[in-house]
Amino acid sequence: MNFAHGELYMLGAYAGIAVIGVTQSFWVALVVAPLLVGVVGAVTEVATLRPLYRREPLYGLILTFGLALVFREAVRQIWGGDMRRILPPITGSTPLLGMTYPNYRLFLLGASSVLLLAIWLFFTQTRAGIVVRAAVQDAEMLDGLGVDVRRVFTLTFAGSAALAALAGLLLAPVFTVYPQMGVEMILLAFIVVILGGMGSMGGSVVAAVVIGLTQSLFSLWMNPQRVAIAIFGIMIVVLVVRPRGFFGREGVLE
Amino acid sequence: MSRVSSWRGALVLAALVALPALPFMSKFYLLLAFDALLFGAIAMSLDLLIGYTGLVSFGHAAFFGLGAYSTAILLERGVVSLWACLGFAVLVVGLYALLVSYFATARRGIYFALLTLVFAEVVYTFFRYTQTFGGSDGIQGVPPAQLVPGVAIDTPLANYYAVIVYLALAYALCRVLVTSHFGKVLVAIRENEDRARFLGYNVQRYKMAVCMISALLTGVGGALYPGRSAFATPDLMLWTVSGEFIIMVMIGGLGTLGGPIIGGAFFVLLQEQVSSYVDWYFMVIGLVLVFIVLFMPRGLLGFRRMLGFGQWRATA
Amino acid sequence: MKRLTWLAPLLAVALAVALAQPAASQQKVVKIGDLGSKVGVFEGYGKYQSMGIQLAVEEINGKGGVLGHRIEVIAEDDDTKPAPAIRKAEKLILQDGVKLLIGAVSSGSTMAIMDVTKKHKTIHWNSVSCAEFMRTTKFHKYYFSNQPDSRQQATGLAKYILDKMGKKVYIFYTDYAMGQSDGRQFKTALEKLGGEVVGVAGAPLDTKDFSPWFGAINQSSPDVLFLAFAGTDSLRLMTQLHSFGMTKKYKLAGIDCFLLQQDLPAIAEPMEGFVQLNHFSAYNPDPNMQAFNQKFKKKFGVDANIAAGAYDAVYFWKAAVEKAGSFDPDKVSAAHEGLCIDKTHIGRQCIRKEDHQVVMDMHLYRVEKGKNLPIARDRRQGRDRRGHGGPGSAEGLHLGDQEEELAARWTISSRSCCRSSCTASSSGPRWGCWPWA
Repeated sequence: MNFAHGELYMLGAYAGIAVIGVTQSFWVALVVAPLLVGVVGAVTEVATLRPLYRREPLYGLILTFGLALVFREAVRQIWGGDMRRILPPITGSTPLLGMTYPNYRLFLLGASSVLLLAIWLFFTQTRAGIVVRAAVQDAEMLDGLGVDVRRVFTLTFAGSAALAALAGLLLAPVFTVYPQMGVEMILLAFIVVILGGMGSMGGSVVAAVVIGLTQSLFSLWMNPQRVAIAIFGIMIVVLVVRPRGFFGREGVLE
Repeated sequence: MSRVSSWRGALVLAALVALPALPFMSKFYLLLAFDALLFGAIAMSLDLLIGYTGLVSFGHAAFFGLGAYSTAILLERGVVSLWACLGFAVLVVGLYALLVSYFATARRGIYFALLTLVFAEVVYTFFRYTQTFGGSDGIQGVPPAQLVPGVAIDTPLANYYAVIVYLALAYALCRVLVTSHFGKVLVAIRENEDRARFLGYNVQRYKMAVCMISALLTGVGGALYPGRSAFATPDLMLWTVSGEFIIMVMIGGLGTLGGPIIGGAFFVLLQEQVSSYVDWYFMVIGLVLVFIVLFMPRGLLGFRRMLGFGQWRATA
Repeated sequence: MKRLTWLAPLLAVALAVALAQPAASQQKVVKIGDLGSKVGVFEGYGKYQSMGIQLAVEEINGKGGVLGHRIEVIAEDDDTKPAPAIRKAEKLILQDGVKLLIGAVSSGSTMAIMDVTKKHKTIHWNSVSCAEFMRTTKFHKYYFSNQPDSRQQATGLAKYILDKMGKKVYIFYTDYAMGQSDGRQFKTALEKLGGEVVGVAGAPLDTKDFSPWFGAINQSSPDVLFLAFAGTDSLRLMTQLHSFGMTKKYKLAGIDCFLLQQDLPAIAEPMEGFVQLNHFSAYNPDPNMQAFNQKFKKKFGVDANIAAGAYDAVYFWKAAVEKAGSFDPDKVSAAHEGLCIDKTHIGRQCIRKEDHQVVMDMHLYRVEKGKNLPIARDRRQGRDRRGHGGPGSAEGLHLGDQEEELAARWTISSRSCCRSSCTASSSGPRWGCWPWA
């Protein structure tokens, strides 16, 4: 649980703005900005979260709440609180199924699919991915097997920070950039993770698709405002009927 | 111990009652003291859950906001009796808390936090989109509540004393609770939920009960808020407000009751004062929080009782 | 007793912090409060409000102040939320003893502090928030506004849209008090003039993705899109409309607080051709406007914008105080009524007695390459910029002279648009307005 995750997402967009300012290229920023935020994530993890692993998880939750405030304010001091805009690197639009879709959104669809596939391959097919999963399940056992668990946690945190940053930068041309952008995103991210089931990537993907579809289908026949309530309604039903989410294993983080 | 603490409590209460007599206590400081003590009391009721039972609620802002809305809705529609407002708030918050606590206490640890968070978000979304209650602008400009017909609680001083009464009663109730058998069971649940269950306690019923008590105390606090502010808006129940409540408890020290009151007051004063001088006060608050978590995990007032907290992770 | 030893220093520190107020008791100083959003999505508006106040106060102090008092500005931040806003307003009024409070930026905060200024009898000016119910249901004796109201904008803009842009209009608004009143006023004005509203939709504040609404807009095939949004919502909406190719497909018009001039260069291409009715633009060649902008630019290094209207608020207050001969809120409030000041950036401005609204000229602007250019300039070279063209001519509409209509408080149409029966504009509590209704 990391309340500062939304802020890492926001940092990604701002780091993107900085890199684009230097290189004038969105694509370079797409590579460099997540790396920068990954480093920020690693430093943060080592400096603040690492001393807390032996304590109650609640402390981590509250610490990241504080970190979120610090990150948001730092960004506001550096870049100002005004809205920023990143121009989409792909322009134009394509007619599809009776609607006109911007090409950049189609690109996002492709890019996120590739990204998901890559993450899935990492967790299932590489040794590093398996180590990370093992560390989450039983850190002590892994430690006993001679793996430097602390380094694994740091790298995992850095990796997740980099991914959040990548998402922030990818979505920036659609949602625009401002210091509070992370606050609005983090709740949605939590919902997806809970619905999908913690620790299950497939679950998250299914949950994201379900929420997305609900949102668009419902808005066809009812006011999009009401959809927001409907989504929470679905969520409560799922949590009551099946608390571990669609694909969550019983007992994770309980 | 209990005689000492009741002496001490009476002393603090007397000081608080006498506070407005001090020459520098202007109307503004009385209103500021109102906020400080109100949020202190709410932090204290949250401490019942977090500190004593080991349940982290990320949805207390909804109880607070529902209480505030209950009062504001009645006041706006001409029902100005304080007792009617409080009764209605208790009813509304109670029903909602019953629902939340029934489902949330069935789960442990992070799931409890997330369930309370999600329920609170539903309430927030509902009020934000319900034009009957003013939508995202909320209910504004309600008249003050009346203690008895004709006697309105409309001055800062009257509001201040109202919150003192609330704080004193809430503190007394919490103190009695945590020193009673009920409180011991709560701590047992925090230390090891399964063991408490094997000992024959109906753990969920205890958890639900403490959840309801904490929620109702927070809701009553919320019900007092429109009397001072004349409004209730959805902003009051944003999830970040729930986060701030937790911060107050953390600053004060978990499982101490008195600590969170001071933590809440400290938080309100910090925000109020720092924001007058610098525009990056959120940075200050964030850093204070990080500092406390890292170096003073028992809070400003945390003391020896907190040592038991270390074993808490076994259940969470 | 261990706890008490902890408690004492802590309380002492808290008290010391609370009491560490500078006790400036310099002679003959009058304080005014600047309550703005310095943090949050509206901080751009708050910054310019502060600059406007600062400029006016320096000028006035340079000429000897008001009634022999030097003006001191105390600025506070409301975090764009009502709860901190009232606390700050109380601090300014009760602690600092300000005689004038200017703010806030968001309509929610402004509404909340209107109760504070009413209760504690303080002159309250609002130059930025633009929701009409502040002049109707929430209106009180000490409250004044020089933010042009929805109706002033709607009438003029509707006329121009029908004459020059198209008959079929789709109204898209931000679904809270501000957007609802703007949308409703515009719909009424347009239908009165014979236009056709082909569709109306509201999106909640802080909507991240507007594309679910785009299908309905495209299906109703309007000529013109009327947009009532503000802040980050505007920016996001324009970005998304543009990426769906809809900024080129439809003609665009909207409210004056849609985006500040400062934000326009970053979003120049989507905003191209956006028409609005406004009381200030740095690109208006009018000598009064340029004179004001030069002063502003000299001091702050940036162009002024509409949020700098707080400048005029300070001058209005000064004039009223001098007319009343005291700082007594009741006398100053009475002195405000019917007061006019000349030679502002927009010429003469007067305070309407009935609802304390400033009546002023407004100009039509169209965004071209990220600049708000006055429409009148193109076609009416050399003519009077203040636009005394009369109500019949589209360009340079003069909206200050609608006194006959203003005499009676304008009744709000309760037709289908924009939840008129549900918003705060309709007086009294409501029951029948639920999200699923």
